[in-house]
Amino acid sequence: MTSQTSYKPKLLWLQSITCNGNTHSFLNHPDLASILSHFDLVYHPVLETPFNIEEVARGELDCDILILEGSFRKEGFTRGRVEVSKIVETYAKKVEHIISAGTCATFGGIFKEYDPEHISGFCFDAEERTERYEIYASKLISLPGCPIHPRWLSYVLMMLVKGNPIPIDELHRPQELYGITVHTGCTRNEYFEWKIDSKGFGLKEGCLFYEQGCQGPYTRGSCNKILWNDTSSKTIVGTPCFGCTEPSFPKTALFSTKTNMGIPATMPLGVPRRAYLTATGIAKSFRIKRFEERIITYDN
Amino acid sequence: MKITEKKALRRESIIQTALQLFSLKGFHKTTIPDIAEKLQMSVGNLYNYFSSKDILAKEIIKYTSEVLGNEIRAVNMLDISSEEKIKKIVELYFRMAEEKPERIEYFLRVYLANREVFKDGCEGMMCVSGFITEIMIFFDDGVSSGELRNQDFFSAFGLFMGYLGGMVFLKGEEMLPKDIGQYTDDISRNIYAALKA
Amino acid sequence: MIIRELIEKIEGEAELDFTFNEGKIEDVRISFAFYRGMEEILVGKDARDALVITPRVCGICNHAHLIAAVEAIENGYENAGLKVELSSKAKAIREFTLSCELMQNHMTWFYMTILPQFEKLIGEASGENHALKASYFSSTITKALSIFAGQWPHSSYAVPGGVTCDPTYVDVMQAENLVDESIRFYEEMVIGIPLDKYLEIDSNAFLYDLDGDLARVLHLMSMNEMSDMGQSHDRFIAFGESSLFKAGKSMKTRVYEVDSNYVKESIQKSTVAKAVTYKHKLYEVGPLARAMVSKEPMVKHLHKRYKDSILTRVFARVHEVALLLTRSKELLKNLRLDEPSCSLDKELMIDDFEGVGVVEAARGSLIHKTTVKEGLISKYEIIVPTQWNLSHGDDNENGIAIEAMVGASSTEEATFIFRTFDVCSVCTTQ
Repeated sequence: MTSQTSYKPKLLWLQSITCNGNTHSFLNHPDLASILSHFDLVYHPVLETPFNIEEVARGELDCDILILEGSFRKEGFTRGRVEVSKIVETYAKKVEHIISAGTCATFGGIFKEYDPEHISGFCFDAEERTERYEIYASKLISLPGCPIHPRWLSYVLMMLVKGNPIPIDELHRPQELYGITVHTGCTRNEYFEWKIDSKGFGLKEGCLFYEQGCQGPYTRGSCNKILWNDTSSKTIVGTPCFGCTEPSFPKTALFSTKTNMGIPATMPLGVPRRAYLTATGIAKSFRIKRFEERIITYDN
Repeated sequence: MKITEKKALRRESIIQTALQLFSLKGFHKTTIPDIAEKLQMSVGNLYNYFSSKDILAKEIIKYTSEVLGNEIRAVNMLDISSEEKIKKIVELYFRMAEEKPERIEYFLRVYLANREVFKDGCEGMMCVSGFITEIMIFFDDGVSSGELRNQDFFSAFGLFMGYLGGMVFLKGEEMLPKDIGQYTDDISRNIYAALKA
Repeated sequence: MIIRELIEKIEGEAELDFTFNEGKIEDVRISFAFYRGMEEILVGKDARDALVITPRVCGICNHAHLIAAVEAIENGYENAGLKVELSSKAKAIREFTLSCELMQNHMTWFYMTILPQFEKLIGEASGENHALKASYFSSTITKALSIFAGQWPHSSYAVPGGVTCDPTYVDVMQAENLVDESIRFYEEMVIGIPLDKYLEIDSNAFLYDLDGDLARVLHLMSMNEMSDMGQSHDRFIAFGESSLFKAGKSMKTRVYEVDSNYVKESIQKSTVAKAVTYKHKLYEVGPLARAMVSKEPMVKHLHKRYKDSILTRVFARVHEVALLLTRSKELLKNLRLDEPSCSLDKELMIDDFEGVGVVEAARGSLIHKTTVKEGLISKYEIIVPTQWNLSHGDDNENGIAIEAMVGASSTEEATFIFRTFDVCSVCTTQ
C-alpha cells in the first residue's frame, strides 16, 4: 500500500481550551514528514493547510479522523467565531475516528480546574463518562498525557492507516502505550527495589518515590520505554513523575510523597499493601553497600 | 491425612515443644536431644525438620510472628475505629501472654537477647515481617482515616510495642499485682491518647 | 471604514479591527475573547506546584515559565531571609536549556509562520517545505534541552536551589553534538556561511550578499519596498539578565537601567488581555529589544538605516539564534560537573514569602510574582511578553504593535507586520 495510490484519510486537528503543548510536542516528531505523507491534512493550528479556522468552524469540511486538543465547555469558548462545542459535535458525527490528544481533551486536565462544574474532557470528566461517551465511544481513542509524546499519536495514526485494531483499556487508552507504568524502565529501578531514597534533588542515585513525590509506580504511561525527545525522561533527570496521564492530574503537593507514618499513601499499581509492606520490610533489612555509594567520583 | 499435612503438624509440634523447653530451662541450656526426647522422636528425624538449633531458633521467631500477625490482621479487617482496634490488639497480646506465655517470653528473652544467633538469616525485620506488616497496616489505616496523628513510624511503633512488651516483661518477673488482662483498659486508653490526631 | 479580521496561527487567535482612512490603516483594536484562568487555578496550591502548573500557560514557551516560576520562589526565600546560592553548574544548565527553547521558538516562528506568510504576501512561493526545516531544527535542539531537563514541552526540572539533573560527561558530549548539528543547520539553511564568519559581519551590505533563507527574506523585503514598514515608537525594554542578556531600556539608542518594580498591569476595554507599562510608558520587548539594550552591533547597523521596521525586527529574532548557538556551546564547554546540582536542603520549609522571577523568554520579558502564605499560593501574577507589545496605548500614544501597523495599506500587510512580533495568544490569555 503506497501513499501515492491509496486513499489518504483526511485529518482535522481541532483545538479547544488548550496551551498548545500537544501541537508543539507532535511537531517535534523526528519522522513528521513521513507520517503526514499518509494523510490529507485538512486543518492544523500551525502548519499551512488548505482551509482556515473560519472555514473549519462552518462545519462543512470532509474529514475522517478528528484530533482533539484541549478541554471542553458547553458554551463560552469559540474558535473561528463559533462555539467549539458546536464545531466538535458536527465533526465528531462525520468522522470514523476521534483521538483525544492530551489530558485536557481526554479527562479535563489542568484547565478543568478553572471551572470544574462546566469544563471536562471530551468523553470523560475525570474518570466519569460524559453524555458524549455513549454517542462517540465506538470511535474514541484516548491519549492522555500533559503533553502527549509525539510517538503515541503517530502510533495511533499509523495503526489507523494500516487498518489494525488498537487494543484499548476501559478508558480507551491504547494498551501498547498505557499498559505499563512510567516506573517501567526508569534508571533508578534498583533503588526502588531496595528502598533507597534519593537524598534530596539533584542526584542520579536514589529513588524518588519515597519522598520526592514520584507517581511513576502507579501512573500508566511509557515515558521510560519510549523516551522523551528520543533521549530522556523526567525521572531519568531526577524530576518526579507527576501522574499527568491519569484522570486525577494534577494532584497537589507534587514534589513530596504523601505518607502515613512513613508508608507511601499510594501503592504501586495493582500491588496490595500487605505485599508491598512485606517486600519493603525484607528489602530494608539489608544494607547493600553499592546502593549507598555515589556511582561516579570525579577527582577535583 | 496427607503426608504434607502430617509433616506440617509435626513441624508445629516441634516448635511448640521447643518453645516450652526454652521457657523452662533457658535457650542455651536446652539441646536438640532434649527436644527430641520430649517429643519421643529420634534426633535424626528432628534434624530432618530443622537442620540445626540456630535454624530452629529462626523458624520459631518467624512462626510466632506469623501467628501474632494473623491475629492482628483479623483485627485490622474489622470495620471498627482505630481506638477500638487498639483495645482489641492489646487484648489479644495480653491473652497470648496469659495463655501462651512462652511465645512472648521467647521474643523478649531469646530473640532480643541473642542477636548473634539471629544476625544471619534474620537480618533487620525479616523474620518478624508477618507481625510488623500488620502493625504498619494498622497505622496506615489510622492515619489515612484521620484518627491517628501522622508521625514517624518508629516513634509510634516504639510507643505501642515497647509499652506492651514492657508490661509482659513485668508479668514475667512476677511484678504485676493484678492479672495482666486487667490492665487492658488503662493501657489501651493511654496508647490511644498518645497516638490520636 | 472598519474591517474586522480573525487572525489565527498566533499560538491561538485574536480579533483585529482595522480602521481605514483614505486607503491606509489609521487605527487597530486587538481583542482576545477568552482566558483560561491560570492565575486563579494557582491560588490554594502548594508553592512548588507552580513549577508544574505555570509551564502549562504555553505549549511553546513553557520552559521560560518554569524558570520564571522557580526564580520567583528563590527570590521569595531570599526576601524571607534565606540565602539561596545556586552553583555555577546549576545556573549554566538553566541558562543552557532556556537558550535551547528560545532558539526552538525563533526557528519555528521563522520557518512555520514568517516564511510561508511572507511568501503569500508578496506572491512568491518558493515551493519549499519550510515547516520541515523548523521541525528538524526543533527536534534536534530540544533533544539537547531534554538531556538536562528530561523532556520538552513541559519540564519541571528546575527546583528551588538548582536543578534535579545530575549530568555526566557522556550527557554533556551528547548535548554538544546536538548543538553542533543545530549550528550546521543554521549555517546551511539560514545564513549560508560558517557561523564564526557570520558573526564577524559588520556592515549591512555583507548581509544582503549571503545565501540562505535570512538573506533571501531581507532581500525580498527590500525589493518589495517593505524595509521601512512596521516602524513603531523605537522604544525597547528588557528585564531578564543572563550571561548573554542585559536588563535595561533603550529609547532610540540610549540605554538606561530599569527596575521591575515600576512595571504595572492594567485592564483594557473589550479584551481580556491586560496592558503593561513601565513608568506609565509603552515599550517593545523581544529579541530586537534585547539587541538594542545590549547594543548588538549588526542589529544596531540595520536599526541605524531602518529603525524598528519589520526588517530589523525579523533580522533581530533570527540573528539572536546565532548568538544563542555560540553562547550555548560555551556554557556546555565550561560546565563544572563536580559542583552540586541543588544546594537547598530538602527538609527546608519556608511557608510565607513573596517573590518575583524575571526571565527573557523568546518573545521578551516574562515576569512571575508569587505570594505564599502558610505554604500555599495566595496570589500569583504572570505578565507575558506579548502583553507589552499588544497593549493598546491611550489617547496620547498608540500601542507598540498598533503603531507598527498604522500606515499599512491592506489588512494582509498589517497582519504580516503583526506576526513579526511573534504574538503568543495562549500566553496573553492565561
